Amino acid sequence: MAVCVLLRSFSSNFSTVLPLLTRSASRCPLQLAPKPYFGRTVASANTLVTLKFTDKHEWIRVEDDGVGTVGISNFAQEALGDVVYCGLPEVGTQLAQQDEFGALESVKAASELYSPLTGEVVEVNTLLADNPGLVNKSCYKDGWLMKMTIANPAELDSLMDEPAYERYIRSIEE
Amino acid sequence: MTQQKYGLLMNQLRRTGWFLRTGNQELWTRSSSIFLESSCSSSAGLVLQSQSTDVHQNLALEDWIDAHVDLQQRSILLLWRNRPAVVIGRHQNPWSECNLPAMRRAGIPLARRRSGGGTVYHDLGNLNLTFFASTKAYDRQRNLKVVTEALRGLRPDLDIRATERFDILMNGCFKISGTASRLSRKSSYHHCTLLHSADPVALSTLLRPSSPGIHSNATPSISSPVANLTDHAPSLQWEELLEALVQQYNKEFGLCATSILIDPSDESLFPGVGRMAAELCSWEWTFGKTPKFSIETQLELTDKHLDLCCSAHLLMEVKNGLVDRCQLDVPTDWLPPNLSVQISEVLVGERFCPHRAAAAVTVLLRSQSGQLHRRMHLLCDAVLSVIG
Repeated sequence: MAVCVLLRSFSSNFSTVLPLLTRSASRCPLQLAPKPYFGRTVASANTLVTLKFTDKHEWIRVEDDGVGTVGISNFAQEALGDVVYCGLPEVGTQLAQQDEFGALESVKAASELYSPLTGEVVEVNTLLADNPGLVNKSCYKDGWLMKMTIANPAELDSLMDEPAYERYIRSIEE
Repeated sequence: MTQQKYGLLMNQLRRTGWFLRTGNQELWTRSSSIFLESSCSSSAGLVLQSQSTDVHQNLALEDWIDAHVDLQQRSILLLWRNRPAVVIGRHQNPWSECNLPAMRRAGIPLARRRSGGGTVYHDLGNLNLTFFASTKAYDRQRNLKVVTEALRGLRPDLDIRATERFDILMNGCFKISGTASRLSRKSSYHHCTLLHSADPVALSTLLRPSSPGIHSNATPSISSPVANLTDHAPSLQWEELLEALVQQYNKEFGLCATSILIDPSDESLFPGVGRMAAELCSWEWTFGKTPKFSIETQLELTDKHLDLCCSAHLLMEVKNGLVDRCQLDVPTDWLPPNLSVQISEVLVGERFCPHRAAAAVTVLLRSQSGQLHRRMHLLCDAVLSVIG
């Protein structure tokens, strides 16, 4: 997704209009300022599943069944501000790498989402319809956006691993 | 600027690499410009004024600039206005935001823009400003400062302030400007309205729901009392306003651009813009992009012939602008259930549109006569009026 580095101004009016968005204790301390550690690796029962990142701040995690779960990074959700709407694709949509697959609307702007790989959408996160703020609260876990097949696994090599993404973030912020 | 000089400017812009070309189109090289890289930093910024008052053409022009112009080191201000139109945000529901039947009667089109935000009414008394910049340089407060400072310069006695929500208020409580934006791969645009002398009656009449009982998670508009600049500064002329804004834009961003008139329908200058406008006009974009919603309401039905009335319950679910589900609960002594089921079935899969729905039920109505025909007709009319 597209990200703005400057100005993270929060519009307080929004939270009174949209009761689903809350601003208080539920905010994770990681979200207060970008820090090098993102908590990106998720340990599942037997294996350590790692994330790959795009330069547009989407991540993809290859699950045990070979399906990829897609979301946006902490850096992206912070820069976006409070998400108020998630426009996600229909299940069955065919996507090529870098295709626009939807948009997130936040207090800041409507922002396109770009597919990290080529594949087919097999599931979208329906919880986001009533709770778009999950993208801010839990961008690597409950705030996942969609799941897709991986038609061309070699494309994963073109994505950044965690250390590379960290370096990339630092270079943007300078 | 004369037509000849304008053509020269556009050619120079192409040669200096203002435009990015993709695909199999001509690759423009980034050679240095003799015309633009003068001592004055005009190459860093441009002010454009659209000659068109067609909302779809102007929105398409925004898309075109966003997609084709290299904004990494440069910025653009686009000034435009439209003939009467209602413009909804990317993820909004037109049936809950505006009065579609009234708009149809008045011949006022609906447009869905690609940026977020709420619903606005445009007419020739409303000025639109679009600030194009790189994603890095995206700064709405700074852009709005251009507007507030320009207005303060023109009429110091007016209290003009930008809010945290990026509205601009006049004299503490009247909204004169609202903001929306779009962030793309590398570029951004932030656009805002500015009420100079718009029609307040049309504005308040049209920005009302078409249908009752809509349940949706589409982004809602936040309604505010509005006023025109000319309500409190009657002598403020349109041209005066534009000039002040251009001057302030130049001052704020350290530029010396003069306003250039452009024709957004000109395919030779903006190749592919026509296709972009056609997409924005399409039903699939305007209505089909509406987030899933449901309508639930009571229908009051009166059979005047027998002086009998009853209440029916309607539930419809609409997905991608098409009726996904329709449930009609009508008292069985008023109308046999198989007939109300037939009405529901014939609507499913059709566009959520009164014309399409009317065409679909007409066929059904032909098969009935007498009292049943009359009652089915009443029921269909009631359903159609909900569709708006």
